[in-house]
Amino acid sequence: MKSRFVQSMMTVLLLLLAPSVLLHGAGPDFDKVVAPLLSERCLDCHRGAKPKGGLDLTRRRTAMAGGDQGGAIVPGKPDDSLLWQYVNDETMPPKKPLSAAEKSLLRTWIAAGAAWGTDPIDPFRITTAKRAGYSWWALQPVVKPKAPSIKDARWGRNPIDAFILNKLEARKLHPSGPADRRTLLRRLFFDLLGLPPTPEEIAEFEQDSSPDAYERRVNRCLQSPHYGVRWARHWLDVVRFGESNGFEFDELRPNAWRYRDWVVKAFNQDMPYDEFVRLQLAGDVLRPDDAEALTATGFLVAGAYDTVGQTQQSAAMKRVVRQDELEDIVGTVGQTFLGLTIHCARCHDHKFDPIRQVEYYRMTAALAGVRHGERPLPLGEKQLAPVRQRLAELEKQRSVLESPVRERILSERKTNPLPAPRPTAQWDFTSGLRDRIGGLDGTLHGDARLIAHGLKVDGKSGYVATLPLKHDLKAKTLEAWVSLDNLQQRGGGIVSVQTKDGAVFDAIVFGERDAGQWMAGSNGFVRSRSFAGPVETEANHRPVHVAIVWQEDGTIRAYRDGRPYGTPYKSSGPQVFKAEQSQVVFGLRHAPAGGNRLLAGVLRRVQLYDRALSATEVAASAGGSFLDAETVAGHLTEEQRAHYRKLLDEISKQHALLSRPSAKVHAVVPRQPEVAHLLLRGNPAQPAEVVSAGGVAAVAGLKADFGLSADAPEGERRKRLAAWITRPDNPLFARVIVNRLWHYHFGVGLVDTPNDFGFNGGRPSHPELLDWLAAELVENGWRLKHLHRLIVTSVAYRQASSWSEPAARVDAGNRLLWRKSPRRLEAEMVRDSILHVAGRLDPRLNGPGFQDIRLVRAPGTAAILYLPVDSAKDELQRRTLYRVWTRGGRNRLLDAFDCPDPSTTAPSRAMTTTPLQALAMLNNAFVLHMAQHFAQRLQREAGEDVDRQVRRAYLLAYGRTPAKDEADRARQAVRQHGLPVFTRALLNSNEFLYVD
Amino acid sequence: MADKELFDRREFFSWTRTGLGSAALASLLLRDGIVQGAAVPGEASDPCPHFKPRARRAIHICLVGAMSQVDTFDYKPDLLRAHGKALKTTERPDVFFGQVGLLRKPDWEFRQRGASGLWMSALFPHLASVADELTVIRSMYAETSNHTPATFQQNSGFRLNGFPVLGAWLSYGLGSESDNLPAFVVIPDVREYPAGGAINWSNGFLPGRHQGVVLRGKGDPIDDLTPALPVAAASERATRDLLDAMNHRHLTERGRSDPLAARIHSYQLAAKMQLAVPEVAALNRETAATHTLYGLDRPETADFGRSCLLARRLLERGVRFVQLFSGGTFGSPRRNWDGHEDMMRNHGREARRIDRPVAALLRDLRQRGMLDDTLVLFTTEFGRTPFTQSAANVVGKGRDHNQYGFSVWLAGAGLKHGIAHGATDEVGWKAVENRTHWHDFHATVLHLLGIHHERLTYYHNGIKRRLTNVHGTLIKEILA
Repeated sequence: MKSRFVQSMMTVLLLLLAPSVLLHGAGPDFDKVVAPLLSERCLDCHRGAKPKGGLDLTRRRTAMAGGDQGGAIVPGKPDDSLLWQYVNDETMPPKKPLSAAEKSLLRTWIAAGAAWGTDPIDPFRITTAKRAGYSWWALQPVVKPKAPSIKDARWGRNPIDAFILNKLEARKLHPSGPADRRTLLRRLFFDLLGLPPTPEEIAEFEQDSSPDAYERRVNRCLQSPHYGVRWARHWLDVVRFGESNGFEFDELRPNAWRYRDWVVKAFNQDMPYDEFVRLQLAGDVLRPDDAEALTATGFLVAGAYDTVGQTQQSAAMKRVVRQDELEDIVGTVGQTFLGLTIHCARCHDHKFDPIRQVEYYRMTAALAGVRHGERPLPLGEKQLAPVRQRLAELEKQRSVLESPVRERILSERKTNPLPAPRPTAQWDFTSGLRDRIGGLDGTLHGDARLIAHGLKVDGKSGYVATLPLKHDLKAKTLEAWVSLDNLQQRGGGIVSVQTKDGAVFDAIVFGERDAGQWMAGSNGFVRSRSFAGPVETEANHRPVHVAIVWQEDGTIRAYRDGRPYGTPYKSSGPQVFKAEQSQVVFGLRHAPAGGNRLLAGVLRRVQLYDRALSATEVAASAGGSFLDAETVAGHLTEEQRAHYRKLLDEISKQHALLSRPSAKVHAVVPRQPEVAHLLLRGNPAQPAEVVSAGGVAAVAGLKADFGLSADAPEGERRKRLAAWITRPDNPLFARVIVNRLWHYHFGVGLVDTPNDFGFNGGRPSHPELLDWLAAELVENGWRLKHLHRLIVTSVAYRQASSWSEPAARVDAGNRLLWRKSPRRLEAEMVRDSILHVAGRLDPRLNGPGFQDIRLVRAPGTAAILYLPVDSAKDELQRRTLYRVWTRGGRNRLLDAFDCPDPSTTAPSRAMTTTPLQALAMLNNAFVLHMAQHFAQRLQREAGEDVDRQVRRAYLLAYGRTPAKDEADRARQAVRQHGLPVFTRALLNSNEFLYVD
Repeated sequence: MADKELFDRREFFSWTRTGLGSAALASLLLRDGIVQGAAVPGEASDPCPHFKPRARRAIHICLVGAMSQVDTFDYKPDLLRAHGKALKTTERPDVFFGQVGLLRKPDWEFRQRGASGLWMSALFPHLASVADELTVIRSMYAETSNHTPATFQQNSGFRLNGFPVLGAWLSYGLGSESDNLPAFVVIPDVREYPAGGAINWSNGFLPGRHQGVVLRGKGDPIDDLTPALPVAAASERATRDLLDAMNHRHLTERGRSDPLAARIHSYQLAAKMQLAVPEVAALNRETAATHTLYGLDRPETADFGRSCLLARRLLERGVRFVQLFSGGTFGSPRRNWDGHEDMMRNHGREARRIDRPVAALLRDLRQRGMLDDTLVLFTTEFGRTPFTQSAANVVGKGRDHNQYGFSVWLAGAGLKHGIAHGATDEVGWKAVENRTHWHDFHATVLHLLGIHHERLTYYHNGIKRRLTNVHGTLIKEILA
């Protein structure tokens, strides 16, 4: 309908303008009329790397030269031009020929010499009947409009009303009168809190004659913790938050709830929206030591994850799965924050919006480091500082006790040195890369080179790999004497035992997780935890001895210069490394070489043992200066010994506090990606040009170039992306969020497609109001509560919901807001309200969710099936937001009320009415139980008098007292059949489920 | 949206005697699918059917775990000869578990069946007796050899979670033929749900009412059909009467509201459904001969026989689309068609469960005249390799996943029967002739049901989504 309209408008325009304005000099203005015509009717096929018929019409040169059939345009001679011939006999465009006016324009242009304008034609410059160009409304800067003047100056409390009334007046419509106080309070409560007001709250409000009675209720609601619970749900719909992986295994994500809590808290604290978004995109980078900021990145990994697909054998298929995942992430980022469907440009330029395929890949490059996983939450410095201080004191006391004994023993040892343990393999780089013991000779790779008594690796390409292991390796010890080029490097491997493809490894790694610390690296960190050892300060000017011991029982211990380093821990290990399939590498964490896995430094000697060395053995190997505690204790007096043991005990307790396996969160676990390429037709097997992280150029006023190289650190990429998205002059960013707020307050957004402000999306019903709200948000520090307050205190919001036949004839959908549309409660509100009136709502907020599903582990597989359980159990009576939201385990009562599938983003919810919904409300165990609880509550609060019970029930369920006929009918039913018959009917009733 | 007007200028719905606008009523009834100009956002697609349908309803038998084509419907004499030899190819097969053993001949003997002479193996002896009903496609290929994404794609056209499946699309496009029964019913394998559970019958971004309704053999056939706690009949009636009176009073006060009236009506429909569903599930109303036909009296076929018989009763009463699953999750011991270890045991066991019931279903539908306007689909997410999953110099007993070529069949309305379409290479590894993608399969199924696959759309996130994405070519060669 619309496209036909634009089409005919264009024809009219051409007819009107062609002879006068647009014909200047030699012919029609190319840029103004010819290029748009070509763009709209020809360029879909005749452009790009492989234009149809070999004819590229975007450039002057190729257009004149023609395609497979020869010259297309002969300037001045339309009849000799193939282009004109094809168009004239309607061979082209194939499906719909040009109109007479369009044909005549083309002919005139060729006849006048076919003067070209901007070269090449940018097909995205122009908005046509088929697609949006750079001039598209949503891409233009936000300019705060003045509120229009309105005839009825009495109407309106804030500028919102002026915009609304202005449009109504233009259509000769009148707004409805104000809603009564009970209705208004119910509306406000459901809207902001998702719960009904209590009868007492309604009565109080009805009797409050102060001029700011309503405003005070608004403020109270906005300060309630339930505000965050209600509005977090909206956000979780958009970001398709789910608490399981989906796909075949659908594993539970036991720590995904922290993101939900973070969202609730952010809403409640009125976190500025730009900050809210920055943290979700790059919180871990922006504030590395902040647990909350890390939790916010749960956004990036809220979607499904294909465990089987990501770990399958076929590298080719793995790449496809990964690209699918990135499309989902890029798509969600684009829609959530920008209202752009960027993901539609994965295989080709966007068909409807000015987004190039390469821009999709720039966005992908910005997010390519995003990986699903669990991360330990950093402990705050606040908790750690006192522990560190206490440890320092204890160490001092210990040193006072030990020093005299130590000197004595060491001087004895000089005469009787401890025997050093014998390694299974030893490389000292004095005769190349030969293993002096076990035959595991090495080979140089990249820029690694041997220097006098050492192996120099550069951190860029150099490493050494040995021959395969000759025996299986389970318990083991690795040790190395190493110096580092600098102490700032992160993640380089000193020495590593790995499977030949690098998929599984155990390594001595420097600074990977925690800057400056030594750690036991492993594939996917599966056997890694922080030793919480001291930060290295010396290895940049002298070789230090580092050893890590992997014990048979999974315990992993580290030593530096022969002394225990940090706190040992028990891992999921030990990993067995198979003979022939495994090898040792130096200077590299694991194959393939790249990213941050390479070390910059010098290795002096490396040794491998096929068993776990004891502390004394490590000390002996390191040079014999280490004394274990028992040796020291043996040289103390009895009294000293007791004190010494207590001291050691206390020290290990403090260490345990420092390295306590901290709480985990399902959040981004970034990994430096390979350099990104544009993929032809979206196919990972067909990489084309290299791309670096960047934005979408069509957004007016923003620089899409992030100024990053293709191999820029992934964190930097996300940081720039976050900055680009959240700029105050990004017109989409502000427009999209204010539209979402409007959508949730009124049921329909000013743009009725909240995730799509592009060509296929809706057009704003009130464009000026949209911009006014967007500007207002930015001016007020991105505080959403400010906008809530404006909206809910507007007269438009406070109208009655009364039906008007004449108004409906003009505007049946109520887009102009001649009334407040009544709304059915959303699924969560249905359940929460039932709990609320039945007096069973468990007030506990936050924390892990409740499970109204049973986890069934299918035999012999990691797959989990989620089956429903009786949802009336007491421990499940919390607000529905806290339901564990797995992808494979749905709740039929909530589903019946259109709860969205957590696998896909739901910018707006359907509102359907079905017999299955009626059955669920009538028969579901939860509703029946609650009807009984509601009845018991009535008995408790109103005694045995039926009239009082009925009155109380109406007050609780509807916030009003019953009329006489209602009371009579209810009384009769209660007397004959008991209270639950009545309460069950109430919970099922339309008045309970609809808000006026 | 491109063709959605800003202001709704459509004619008002007629206000019927019952007080319910006709469009609102229509959108409420299970019977109807897309309603022209319906008030539900996004449901402004082309009303279906787009042309005269050949089939009015369909049943989809979905084999989970990947049925082997070379052991069932894809006869390859060369494979018999090549048994024990290596696959002749310069490319290293990129198989799921990485092992490429020697070629293995089918474990069941192939013969030409029926008047049509369709080649089928002895794995499905009963099905072979109705071979003349089948339309086999031997040239299917999938985009992945990972079970669950492939299963998603088989059902929704996409490898990912979150897209509506065929049954949901049909519910949306056509609705049910009955007021009392849902449009889309799912009967999972009684042993276990398929991996991913409800994701497999998701409405995706379509409204929730298009989600598949799970029907069970025991207890309430569907969830919440009857009160979960005991309620006396008189109390039940009293609640309904009271509710009806309250709702009518509420509606009268508000003057006019389609949603409120629709909700009142939904309770009347619910009451009808409460009668209709137990009736459809009452298999004891079938004759002993029918029970025997479907194998209800045999332990190995009783489960799937009940499912097939139930499916027939549902279709008879107007359900649009019934989906049966054969197979559960991918675990050990095996309980689906994933014959990695031992094809003889695995496929032997799984086929015994379904062979007689599926053949009975076809026979029964035919004898009732229903096969003239019912479509039967029998599919699996991908096939299995003609070589075994074993060391390179060994003929193992199991076969790995094969995305490059596999077989499915259709039967019933609008099809050429007793034919096989397309072909794989000499050993049955890769589809080479008339290669067929799920998009083509879906386009054809929709076509048979009177739907042009490019016109059944739902706006979601910037695009009018289709079951066939932006692809799909009708398989004209198999249409009658």
